[in-house]
Amino acid sequence: MLTMTNVKKVFRTDLVETHALRDFNLQVNEGEFVAVTGPSGSGKTTFLNIAGMLETFNGGSYVLDGQDVSHLNDNQRSKLRNEKIGFIFQSYNLIPDLNLFDNVDVPLRYRGFDAKERKQRIEESLETVGLANRMKHLPSQLSGGQQQRVAIARALAGKPRFLLADEPTGNLDSAMAQSVMELLQSINQSGTTIVMVTHDPQLAQQAARNIYVKDGQVSEVHDVLKMHVANA
Amino acid sequence: MLELGPIFRALLRNKVGALLIAVQIAFTMAIIVNSVFIIYERSQETKRPSGLDEANSFFISSSGFGENFGAKATIEKDLTDIRAISGVVSAIQINAIPVSGGGWSMSLQTEPGAEHDGVGTAVYMVNENGLDALGLELLAGENFVASDIRWRQNSESTWPDKVIVTKAMAERLFPDIDYGQSVGKTVYINDNEPMIIVGIIDKLQAPWVGWNNVENSMLSPEHQETDSVRYFIRTAPGQRDSTMKQVEELLAKNKERVVDGMRSIEYVRERSYRGHTAMIKILTTVIITLTIVTSLGIVGLASFSVNRRKKQIGIRRALGARKIDVIKYFMLENLMISGVGVLLGAGLTIALNMLLVKALSITPMDWFYIPIGMIVLCLIGQLAVYGPAKKATGIAPAIATRTV
Repeated sequence: MLTMTNVKKVFRTDLVETHALRDFNLQVNEGEFVAVTGPSGSGKTTFLNIAGMLETFNGGSYVLDGQDVSHLNDNQRSKLRNEKIGFIFQSYNLIPDLNLFDNVDVPLRYRGFDAKERKQRIEESLETVGLANRMKHLPSQLSGGQQQRVAIARALAGKPRFLLADEPTGNLDSAMAQSVMELLQSINQSGTTIVMVTHDPQLAQQAARNIYVKDGQVSEVHDVLKMHVANA
Repeated sequence: MLELGPIFRALLRNKVGALLIAVQIAFTMAIIVNSVFIIYERSQETKRPSGLDEANSFFISSSGFGENFGAKATIEKDLTDIRAISGVVSAIQINAIPVSGGGWSMSLQTEPGAEHDGVGTAVYMVNENGLDALGLELLAGENFVASDIRWRQNSESTWPDKVIVTKAMAERLFPDIDYGQSVGKTVYINDNEPMIIVGIIDKLQAPWVGWNNVENSMLSPEHQETDSVRYFIRTAPGQRDSTMKQVEELLAKNKERVVDGMRSIEYVRERSYRGHTAMIKILTTVIITLTIVTSLGIVGLASFSVNRRKKQIGIRRALGARKIDVIKYFMLENLMISGVGVLLGAGLTIALNMLLVKALSITPMDWFYIPIGMIVLCLIGQLAVYGPAKKATGIAPAIATRTV
């Protein structure tokens, strides 16, 4: 599903050159739920940005769903992002002026679906996250957990093959966080590949595989299921 | 895909800024459209032909004062001498100068009697050389002959029995027949004095350029026997300026009079329309200033909007918006604001025009100025918003993953 080989990302200013990713190698298979952890500044967010084609990279190769994205132009990256990837952000990133219906509608409009199809997808996805009865509400009228559920609905509405979650529970209390994690696991079980960036090791344990990033490189890979079996 | 619904709903939640711009667009439209209409109207007025051979004509005044000054003899001699100057095509004595701002007016009517309304007309007293000197085209009938011309004393109140009128005047007097058929018809001056229309000329404007009846003129076959006279001289092409000097020197030889007020018709025309020209300049400045101010307002609002919504733009980009989608979003948003503005503006434009029609007696604006104004204002809005919208495309989608 996602293969990064020797990916490099360098941020340059006049005085400083920062290697955010150095020879970053990672393979995520279809249907996997992978958690990426690591300390602040380790390169987690840079990895997420590159994986989501929000940023370009300086070297190496990145193949997403069988397509080498290294040399795509801005329009092609936007199209691929819209079709293949669903994003869940730490601060939800809902558009405050739009109600829930219109928020979920945003990526679907860029996809070019007709009104009927969009309406059906929006209703389905809001139903999935249990907010179908709040479609006309504004984000500010919802709790943090509910807002994150809307963000998940927005990510799901396009029926992406790949979900990228950036600290999806970072702004939630533990009960809300667990609820969101359960929703993500349920989505994963329905076949969607998920890569979740988190600094919370306990949350990471709920993914099937943990990647630990340090100094811009993958330093450890744990199969959580095998660890659980071993611990038992 | 156009985001009309979401943009409209989002605008409703942040309506103050947008509404202010819409109101600004409305006022701008009302002022600009009315200004353009007035400019066009004034500019058309300044381009109206007077009927004269303007480039080759001038006039000069002479006021006799000596005890032995004989008006009739002087006029006859002056005209003979002036016509003898090389380059002079024709010369006449005339009581008033077209488009100069000062002259005579009377009223002609088709039925005798004070109870009947007449049609206002400028009066030019000329001899049989009048058509040639003024450069007029005879459309129907005939010119005066020498025997038609009489000498008019200052105290004279009667009128000759022949008259030549402009085509416009003939059509006003006899609206139901072709102008050519008005030749031979009798009209009445001073309520009851008959005059027979002997000829129709194409065009000769009255002295007053702002007069509603500016195209209504009549030629009366007479010389004025007076010490203060005005001569109208037409020269061969290109010889006006040199002839002016010669005519002035010629008249100045008679020491029993003062010669002054020599002006070319081009100068007279420029002076008469100076008010129009000034108004056109002022209104053009108003239009340019308002367009700039409104454009800057739109640029300001759009720039503020882009800065305020940086994160939102990044989120949209992350969710699949292409750069062109970002540009389309802002341009569509502006089009909706401008749309409201020009709809309000259409009403304001009509209201302002009605006010101007009442206050300044201008003609009502043609309807098509409104839709053209709406389109132009919307285009100005689109041009103004393009810069900030283009700038918004520079916002990276990666901004979506930043928490601050």
